[in-house]
Parts: sequence; C-alpha cells; structure tokens
Amino acid sequence: MVTEDEVRHIARLIRLEVDENEVSRLQEHFNEILEHFHSLGKVDLAGIDPFTPEEGRSCPLREDEVHPWSGRNAAIESAPLSDGDFFKVPRIISEVESDDA
Amino acid sequence: MTLDGLGAAETASAIRNGDVTASAVIDNVFKRVNAWESQLNALITPLEERARQDAERLDRQVKDGKAAGPLYGVPVIVKDNMCTEGIPTTCGSNILEGWRPPYDAWVIRKLREAGAVIVAKSNMDEFAMGSSTEHSAHGPTSNPWDTERVPGGSSGGSAASVSAGYVPVALGSDTGGSIRQPASFCGVYGLKPTYGLVSRFGLVAFASSLDQIGPFARNMEDLALMLSVISPHDPQDATCVEGKRPDYVRSGDNASLSGLRVGIVREFLTDAVDPELVVAVRDTAAILEDAGASIVDVQLPNAGKAGLPCYYIIAPAEASSNLARYDGIRYGRREDAGDLIGQYLKTRGAGFGNEVKRRILTGTYVLSSGYYDAYYLRALKVRRLICREFDQAFGEADVILMPTTPSLPFRKGELVDDPVQMYMSDVFTLPINLAGLPGLSMYTGSSRSGLPLGVQIVAPRWEECRLLQCGRAVENALGPAPLAGGSDR
Repeated sequence: MVTEDEVRHIARLIRLEVDENEVSRLQEHFNEILEHFHSLGKVDLAGIDPFTPEEGRSCPLREDEVHPWSGRNAAIESAPLSDGDFFKVPRIISEVESDDA
Repeated sequence: MTLDGLGAAETASAIRNGDVTASAVIDNVFKRVNAWESQLNALITPLEERARQDAERLDRQVKDGKAAGPLYGVPVIVKDNMCTEGIPTTCGSNILEGWRPPYDAWVIRKLREAGAVIVAKSNMDEFAMGSSTEHSAHGPTSNPWDTERVPGGSSGGSAASVSAGYVPVALGSDTGGSIRQPASFCGVYGLKPTYGLVSRFGLVAFASSLDQIGPFARNMEDLALMLSVISPHDPQDATCVEGKRPDYVRSGDNASLSGLRVGIVREFLTDAVDPELVVAVRDTAAILEDAGASIVDVQLPNAGKAGLPCYYIIAPAEASSNLARYDGIRYGRREDAGDLIGQYLKTRGAGFGNEVKRRILTGTYVLSSGYYDAYYLRALKVRRLICREFDQAFGEADVILMPTTPSLPFRKGELVDDPVQMYMSDVFTLPINLAGLPGLSMYTGSSRSGLPLGVQIVAPRWEECRLLQCGRAVENALGPAPLAGGSDR
C-alpha cells in the first residue's frame, strides 16, 4: 500500500508539484496499479539474467568524429530565457536552504 | 482524375507522369481537412502554406524533367512527436507549447528526400502516453467511422487522417501499441517495425527501449513503400541496427504463402475478447490458409498475463527518466518561481497532464530505493522471459496471428477516468514491444454496427517481409481499407 506521504515524496523526487486534492487520487491510482504488479510475483524467474545480451550483440561503437552543426542559435532561441549564447536559469540556491538542496 | 482515396504510389506516379499536379493534390488534401476537421480534431498544426510552396516547387521540377522520388508529391501527415525543423512540435503537451525544433527527425529527412510533402502534424495522447487520443492538450480526436468514439491512441490523429482520406499515408509511433491499436480502431493498416529497424533520431522519447516509428496506409503497397523510405540505417541512432534492408516493396509480389506456418494462440481467443474480433482472427486464418499457409497452435503463457504489468513498470520507468528534461530551461513552457527547484516543480506541475503525471510518478516509484528490486528488476526478468517465449513460439510458427485489441472502438469519455481499464486496451500489442518484434494490424472488414475490425500479425525480428506478404494476401481477399464515410463526403 502506497501512503499519501510516499506520493508526496515521489512527486518531490520527480520535481513535480501536485496539489493536495491530486494526492489522494494519485494514491488510489498507485494502489490499483500495484495490485496488478503483484501477479508478477507468481512468475518463476529462476536463473534469468536480464542484463546479458542474448544474441551475443555488443554495443555498437563509432568513430569519434566532429560534425559541425548549424542549429546552435535556433536551439538557444527556442529557450524560454536566454542571454546571448547561454540558457538562463533562476537562482539555484534559495535564501532558505531546502532539505533536498 | 478523382483524387479522393488515391493511394501514395498512385499519386507519386501520376504526378511524375504529369497526369495531375502536386498543387492539385494539396488542394484536395485541404478540401477534405476543411470538410472534416471540425468533427475530427485530428491535426495540431496544419501546414497549408508550406505544403502549397513545396507542391509548387515539385510542379516546377516536373516541367524541368527533374521529378524523382518514390513519394513524389505525396501528402503525408506525421505525429507531433517527430521533430520538424522550425515547425511547432508539441507532443500533445502544454509543456512544449511554442517549441520549434532546430532539426528534422531522420524519418522526416527521408520523407522529404523521397519527394513527400508534409501537410500537417497530427494530434496524439500527450508524450505518446495513452490509447485513445483523449489525453492531448489540444483536445480529443474523434474516430472517422463514428465520431462519438475514439480513434485509438496514442497515434490517433495520424490514423484518423488516413482513414478520413486527408492523406494516403501517415507516420505514427508505437511503444505499447500506439500504431497498431489506432490502425485497428480506424480501419487502416498500421505497422510497428522491429525495434532497431527505423531510426529514432528526432523522435521525442517516451520509452527508449520500446519506441518505434511506423507507417499507416489504406493499402499494403503504400505501407511497404513508406517502410522502405523510412527504414535505411541511421548512424545517429545507436539503437538503429546496421545492415541492408530487404526490398519491402517487392515482398508482396509473391501471392503464395505455401510453406508458411501461421500460429494461433488459443488463450487469446477467449470471451475476454469481443466475439466479432475472435471471428475476425479465425476468418483471417482461413484467408491465409487459402493462400497456402498452414495453421498451428502456439503457446505464449506469460506474454498475455504478465505482459501488461511488466510493461506498466518498464515503460513508466523509462518515461520518468526521459521526461526529466522538461524543466523550463531549454525548451517549451516555463513557470516563474523564486528558485530552480521551484521552477521545476511549477513548470512540470502546470505543463504535464494527468496521465503523464501518473506514469512518471509510477516510474519513479518502481525505480526508487527499496522498490527497484521488487518491481523494476523483476519486470526486466519477466521481459526476458516473454522474449524467450516468443523465440520458442517462432520455432513452431513463422508468424503469429492474434487480435490487435480486445474490444471494438470505445466511446469518448468511457475510459478516460479509468486508467487501468484503458491500459487493458493494449494487452495484445504491448508484449510485442517488450520483445522488440514487428507487428502489423490489418483491416479485416466491419462489425455488425459498422465499426472497423482489425487483426494483428507478428513476426520474428527483421521479418517484416513475412508481415507484408500476409497483409497482401488479406488485402487480395478483402480489398484495401476504404475511406471512412466514403469519398463523396
């Protein structure tokens, strides 16, 4: 069972503001979907290693070649706030230290 | 020449030969868009002015004898999660309002090189999370066959556009069924390629190990043509596998399916599935048998039962990571708040819709400390088990036939507040994404109430040609997918 406090904690982890009336609806949704996940507990998974590629494929590599790209200005221009060649961010450390700064 | 209902290959040929102008084709596109769009809401950004300019350029090239390209002058619609340089790309979300990508997706580049004219960006469930195209910041899309019903999702706008005859072909993306399910609901063909066949460069990521781009069409020749245009290897996507692609266009030439073993999964044909869809699967099996195939029974004991919970752990986990980039700094919407954390909280809280929030919260939960082993790691193992099940089944069959969806298109509003019930819509499509296999939803006629019936066929990795051959056999028996509402509308 997921508690409302856990929902608030997860929302904070994912940097998502949820207002209080959303918290209980989200808690219901979580618990409903976690019910479905419990069926996975009955599956026999002995000896399965999900991290070893089965087809013997290794990660493809490429040459480290620089290819100039002309879209840089367009990328900066599409930012909500920019300053010359930079993306602009608000102050990072607030006056009152948050508990997860 | 009647332009309504004209296929892509026919259109390209007619324009190259001078039988019709690209400009006349675009005129017809927007005639149909203007007639239907107030009822369908299939499009987020129509591109009429740009399309007309493209068409004029293509017409001049015809006069100069320089017309070339397999999709020459063909109007195409693309889902709004594919980057189009300088053209708004919103992913159906408020958080990307006003954003114009600084580059084209690989598939967009390939379409343009083939001579296609992109006429619009289509509506979709926000960030491709949904099965009904009701979770868009731009409002829901309606099914052209019955506008009280959903077109399916998340690529509902693209599917509806082809079904309503705005265009002969469109692109969608499929992470858990988002091409195949709307193809079935809208009465068109929709193909999800093998994971790694088509480059995801420029596709806004939802779940990076599951996403694939694929085509919609009303006939198999056009579907094969689109696949051949978008599938060349792209070195910009490390998950796009190298190697020469087969000749998809010629794959449907051989009408005989002699020697082909078609697997049926009896557990998928129970009364949990609409009886008319069960009959559609059996009728399709009979068509394939008539074409020379043999029918065999195969088992997929975990794919049907464990596939859904497995997917709804892995996909949200990947989504929570992929959507972390939407922070109001580099693109899209930004909500002012005193400091950085505040900006993140407010921007994401205001910019994301409810379904996206539910999924990224679920994803974060299953990845978080204390739950990772019980949920995410376990789901990865189940995924590996499902892959092995399919490998085993493909030892006994060359393709597997099954329903695309358990139900006919449902009504708008019916499931939008019941997310877990909505997820059930993809029970037959999402195991195919988990295993990275190619899957095709074929139009197989109409229900008694006049709604389209779709049936899904699945092949081993890289065997799209088998799907295209089977699709061609079904089309030869039943005819191509008709326009919804007829061409006189």
